[in-house]
Parts: sequence; structure tokens; C-alpha cells
Amino acid sequence: MPASMRSEARAAAWLGRYLWSAWAGATGLLCLAAAWQAAHELYGDFVLPDPLTTLMTLADLATEPGLGAAVKETGLRALTGFLLAAGIGTAAGTIAGYSFAALRLMKPVVTFILGVPPISWIVLALIWFGASGGSAVATVIVAALPISFAGALEGVATRDRGLDAMARAFGAGPLRRFRDVTLPHLLSYLFAAWTTAIGTAWKVAVMAELLGNSGGIGGALAKARALFDIPQVMALTVLVVLCALGSDHLVLQPLREAAERWRTAGQPWGVKR
Amino acid sequence: MKLRLENIGHAFLGRTVIEGMNLAFAAGEIVALVGPSGCGKTTLMQIAAGLVVPLRGRVHRAYRRHAIVFQEPRLLPWLTARDNIAYGLACAGTPRRHRREIAAARAREVGLEADDLGKFPAELSGGMRQRAAVARALAVAPDVVFLDEPFSAVDVGLRRMMQDHLAQAAAREGFCALFVTHDLGEAARIADRLVVLSARRRGIVDLRAVPGRPGARDERFVFDLVAAWSREEAFAELLDGAGRLQ
Ligand SMILES: Nc1ncnc2c1ncn2[C@@H]1O[C@H](COP(=O)(O)OP(=O)(O)O)[C@@H](O)[C@H]1O
Ligand SMILES: [Mg+2]
Repeated sequence: MPASMRSEARAAAWLGRYLWSAWAGATGLLCLAAAWQAAHELYGDFVLPDPLTTLMTLADLATEPGLGAAVKETGLRALTGFLLAAGIGTAAGTIAGYSFAALRLMKPVVTFILGVPPISWIVLALIWFGASGGSAVATVIVAALPISFAGALEGVATRDRGLDAMARAFGAGPLRRFRDVTLPHLLSYLFAAWTTAIGTAWKVAVMAELLGNSGGIGGALAKARALFDIPQVMALTVLVVLCALGSDHLVLQPLREAAERWRTAGQPWGVKR
Repeated sequence: MKLRLENIGHAFLGRTVIEGMNLAFAAGEIVALVGPSGCGKTTLMQIAAGLVVPLRGRVHRAYRRHAIVFQEPRLLPWLTARDNIAYGLACAGTPRRHRREIAAARAREVGLEADDLGKFPAELSGGMRQRAAVARALAVAPDVVFLDEPFSAVDVGLRRMMQDHLAQAAAREGFCALFVTHDLGEAARIADRLVVLSARRRGIVDLRAVPGRPGARDERFVFDLVAAWSREEAFAELLDGAGRLQ
């Protein structure tokens, strides 16, 4: 069965690529760790704890019951905010991409939202929602929504009109043309935007928690700062980075790979990424 | 008459491209539309195919289905060759199994191998992509086929093969074809009828039947025919710049 062998070969190639990109990423991270170690040796423990101490602190923290709950709390806020922002932003951006009037109406609004510093949103959200999870979610939404909007807008605006005309010539209606012609093209823009948005979601959620002292990783960070526990600050920082990278590489990237198999099909081996 | 253009006129941004054009196409005939670059061949074809709404005049269609082969293959990059060839059928609501069978048969006709069908367009050569585009058009069993300089980017051997295939398919299946080209040799080889457009006079300067049967004319005949045409005033504008034969 050549067809099944083909799909197996594709799956193997996919796994190989996935492992290879993980390996390449690890190389970069290890270089960063080396620079970190050098800076630590230059400036000492108090300013910058070394990577190993940080990791051990993180391991210690992980054994405490509070940390898991904090990660879950922050994760839930980041995810809720991300999903709402991605949903609304993508839908609005798609409509704006199709309709010139909607574009004229929405673009200034989004430009305005982009111009407002996130810290102002956090303060406003704290006033409106109090020091609860709501303010973190609201801040994540306003921070991540313009990113999804711009991605969707760009994707729809750059769709291939020639392919659209082709589909129209074969009698495809508007919905079918959106699904067959625009969406696959749009997805590559969306995944790029969503990758940025999910990273922003984690960072902004932690920031809002810290300023509002509303629990989660941000709350733990506020406590560590009050105690001047520098290794713990570093450990929590690394944790946030890991969470942001994890939700991108373990959730978004595999979805993207699956959706865009056609893109890698034409590339020769060895120049993939 | 399968298709009739009545007093068609069109302009882009106030600049007239086509004026007072009348044309009719009968079942089973291949009409070659020739003219210099920029004279409105593509525009006229798109009007006839319903992709562009003309500013003036009417298009009368007395058929069920048409298909288009564009100058570029215009395959969907995210579908395999098989699904691309079957795309028109999918739009028409043909069940999946049936359309895969038709796609395979049409692919074989244009010389695509069975294992090319599982490949994405990026994995196919330029010639193979254009073969797939022709297969996609013929797969819907059209009554009218519009072709916009479909073979201008493929090599000579393949062009010859595709021209013959198209002429044979038209004779066998009885569809009518509007074939846009700027290559007189191509027109002389596959057309029943020739329509010559002018850019300067914005309309038809000549209309004539081509002797013989499409796809059955030999090389010598085609060569002599083109040589004779190239001495005529009607084709002067077309051959200006492109270089007259000898
Ligand atoms: N979408 C468009 N907008 C403005 N002008 C156009 C458009 N399409 C074609 N034209 C103009 O119309 C004229 C005819 O174009 P076209 O039909 O593509 O010519 P041909 O196919 O014979 O080379 C050209 O001068 C071209 O610049
Ligand atoms: Mg053209």
C-alpha cells in the first residue's frame, strides 16, 4: 500500500523534525545558561543567582503544594483571556479583512488599544474588577486581542484573489471559498499571531496578579520580592517562561504542524527549520 | 448557440477596453481569440465566464456547466493533486468516491501518473501543475471551457500534447471552447474559428473559419497557414513587436 507507507513516512518525518527542532532549541537555551553563569560569577549571588541554584529552588518550590495551585490559577486566567482574545480578535479581524467599511471602523479602535500601555489597563482593571482573577483576565484580553485582530486582518487581506476567482468559476459559494481558499492561508497568519498572544497572556497575567496581589504565580512573585528571596524570584521567572514556551510548543505548534503539512511537503530535506 | 455575447462593453477606471462586442459560440466548436497583449482578451473571457460583470451589454448562457483553465495553474496549495482535480466536482456536490474515480481517469488522460495524485502542488513540476489544471476543468464534464493562454508557460512538447488532447476531448465530448492565445501557430492548430482583436480599434478586426479539423492538421499545413496569415493586414497589430514571421 503506497498510500499508507507515504503517510507513515510523513509521520516519521514529522517526529524527526519535531525532535530536531527541540534539540536545536535546547542548544540555544544552553548557550543562554552559559552566559547567565558567567554573569553570575561576575556579579555574585545577591544580584544574580546561578542557573543551577535557580533550578534547585524551582525543584524545591515544586514540592510545595502551593505552587501547583498557583500555576493552575495563573494558567486558567491566561488561558481564559487568551481564548476570549483569540476568539473575538480573530472573528473581528476576519470581518475587517473582508469588509472595507468594517476595517475603517475597527482599525482606529485597535490602534488606540495598542497604544495604551498595559500597565494602565492593569490599573483600570483593578479599579473595575477589584483584586480578583477578573482583572487579570481582562488585562490579558486587551493585551492579546489586537495581536489576533491584526493577524486575522493581515491573513484575509493577503488571500490569493486568483484562487478565489478560480473557486468562484467552479461554482463555490462564499462559505466554501472561505473554508477552501482563505482559511488555509489565514491559518499561517493566525498561528503566528496566537503564538505571540499566548506568550503575552502568561506575562500579562503574572503582571496583573503581582500588581493586584491576587494570587497565582504573580502573587508568589510579590511575596518573594517582599522577602528579598532572589533565587525564588529567578525560579518563578523561569517557571513563567517555561509555561509560556510549553503552551506554545506543546499545544500550538503541533496543531500548526498538522494544519500545514502541505507547506513542508515541497521542501527538500535538511532545510526545514 | 451555447453562449452569446451581446453588445458587450467594458472599461477599467474610465478607460474603455472593450466596446460593442458581439460573439456567439456553437456547441462543439473551438474558438481561438487572438490579439496583441493588453487588447482585452482576458477581460472578454472573464466577462463570458461571469467572473467580471460587464458595464454594458448582456451575456446569454444556454448551458449547465462551464470550466476555466487560467494562464497560471491556480491549484490550491493545501490540496493534493487528486483533490485539486476533483475540486470542481466537489463544488458541484459529487460524492467523494465518485469524484476520486473521475479525477484519476482525467489525470491519466493528461498524462499524470497514479502516484502523482497524492502529491501537493509544490511537489509537482510546472508542466504537471498545468496538466492538473486542465484535468480539473475537464473533470466537471463542462459544456463550455474557457482557456486563457493555458499553455504559454509549458514546454513545446507538452504544449503540442495538451493541444491535441484538448481538440480530441472537444470532438469526443462536444464541449465548446473559448481559447485565448497570442500564438497564431497554436490557434491554427486547434481552432475551428478565429477571432482577431485589436487594441487600437478596441474590437474585432477579423473573424474567420480555419480550414480542416482541429488537432488533425499536419505541421506543414499549420506552418503555411501561419505564414499566409502573417502577410495579412488583420494580423499586423498582433505580430508587431512579436516580430513578423521571416
Ligand atoms: N483589474 C483591472 N483594473 C484596471 N485595469 C485593468 C484590469 N484588468 C485589466 N486591465 C487593463 O485592461 C486592458 C486589457 O487587459 P487584459 O484583458 O488583461 O488584456 P490581454 O489579456 O489581452 O493581455 C489592459 O490595458 C489592462 O491594463
Ligand atoms: Mg491576458
